Amino acid sequence: MNYFLYQGCSLEASGVHYLVSLKAVAKVLGLSLKEIEDWNCCGASISYVGGNELSVDVLAARNLALAEAQGGMDIIAPCSSCYVVLNKVNRKFQEKPESLKEVNQVLAEGNLQYSGKIRVRHLLDVLYHDVGLDKIRSAVKRPLQGVAVAGYVGCQSVRPYGEYDSAEKPVIQDRILEAIGATAVPFPTKMRCCGSGLFLTELDYCYELIRTILSDALNNGGKIISTVCPMCQMNLEAYQDRMNKALGTDFKVPILFLTQLMAVAFGLSRKEAALDRLMISADPYLKAA
Amino acid sequence: MEQVVGPKYQSKGSAGKDYDPSFAREVYEKVDSGAELKMCMQCGVCAGSCPLRDKMDYSPRKIFALIRAGKREKVLKSKAIMLCTSCYSCIVRCPRKVPVMDIMHGLAHYALSLGYKPRAETALFGEKFWGNIYRLGRVDEKDVALRYFLGHKLSDAVLLMLENKNMGLGMLRYKRMKVLPERPLKNIKSFRKMLDKAKAMGKGGAA
Repeated sequence: MNYFLYQGCSLEASGVHYLVSLKAVAKVLGLSLKEIEDWNCCGASISYVGGNELSVDVLAARNLALAEAQGGMDIIAPCSSCYVVLNKVNRKFQEKPESLKEVNQVLAEGNLQYSGKIRVRHLLDVLYHDVGLDKIRSAVKRPLQGVAVAGYVGCQSVRPYGEYDSAEKPVIQDRILEAIGATAVPFPTKMRCCGSGLFLTELDYCYELIRTILSDALNNGGKIISTVCPMCQMNLEAYQDRMNKALGTDFKVPILFLTQLMAVAFGLSRKEAALDRLMISADPYLKAA
Repeated sequence: MEQVVGPKYQSKGSAGKDYDPSFAREVYEKVDSGAELKMCMQCGVCAGSCPLRDKMDYSPRKIFALIRAGKREKVLKSKAIMLCTSCYSCIVRCPRKVPVMDIMHGLAHYALSLGYKPRAETALFGEKFWGNIYRLGRVDEKDVALRYFLGHKLSDAVLLMLENKNMGLGMLRYKRMKVLPERPLKNIKSFRKMLDKAKAMGKGGAA
């Protein structure tokens, strides 16, 4: 199975443990991932400040056009923000041909053009619909028996269209967690927003958002939180300590990427699972497995 | 505007007289996705779905009502139009398929381009973020954060850096920060040409 990987900016820095574990897991599952050459940032959720809608569309379109010129395979966007931006713009091109025409006038500055035909997929979509639970199950060497995980999907992973899973009550991540032997606890706030790009500028509001998510995970019996979004991972993990000080709480919840848990279950090394990159260690909970 | 109040229901108060459609027309024409708000039926599902609704001076629904009522200053100065986290809840749930989030982004961009600063901090951060994209084609997290801190007056910049010190050190310690500066895209020149052209061609920000 051949795909383009649109890793995005976060996966090269604060979310590098997502990229490391994703590549390790992909190898086990027989996914061949090729980086889109010379890809650019998707603009994420704050691009509206500096760019108008056409500029933001162009950011996505350039990546899509590059993918088309480099082979036309489906794009896997593991970062939820990359996924939602690329997918939304792509859908717009398909529904409103005039917007694609306009964008192509801009892409011509770099001798690029886009037909609107590339498919943008979230990692969860590919894991569930292309790889399948059976294959994932058969790769498990060390089932995460007894590990209670709250599967945090985050707001952007299945939106705006809910193409591969429900946009309100998604279940795919929980099914994958179960396939690797973990217990997926009920988690009503699995789609609540973590605060996204507002963390640097509206910290007090964001503390409240992540407190809700963390306490909901614990109240439902979760010991660790699994996520598929680098923004969610960073906000929930790296700000936990500061939030504790600000709100007088005492959370110490490890936040892992789903691919890290998969890597552990597949019997891969700590380094391949990138467990050494976590600020809040998950070892006490994973040893029991 | 022509009064459409019949003799039997003629208003004695100000109802009807205050209604000024000029700002709504301005939004339809000049704000990205602005014309989409014609479909809004004021049900409030967007407000009920917004994770930061209780922190907003006006909910998205109220913003749309204010636009229709011609309250230009109130809308363009509203702190609500820059509090969107882009979670898409409003878009997913709107029964009339209004892209509420896109309109809020469009309004914020429009307000900023006219010199309004609904939220100065987020505006500064967003400006540095876009600056990275334009300069490099990609975003270098540490670079954006540093430029954001240094965009303040010195005493505030120092305070911000101290507040975020542990975060930065943590990222370094766990090898989650690029130590070297990010290099620009191979085709950065044509990339910038595209962004320049898109800026010139697009609406939403035309002064």
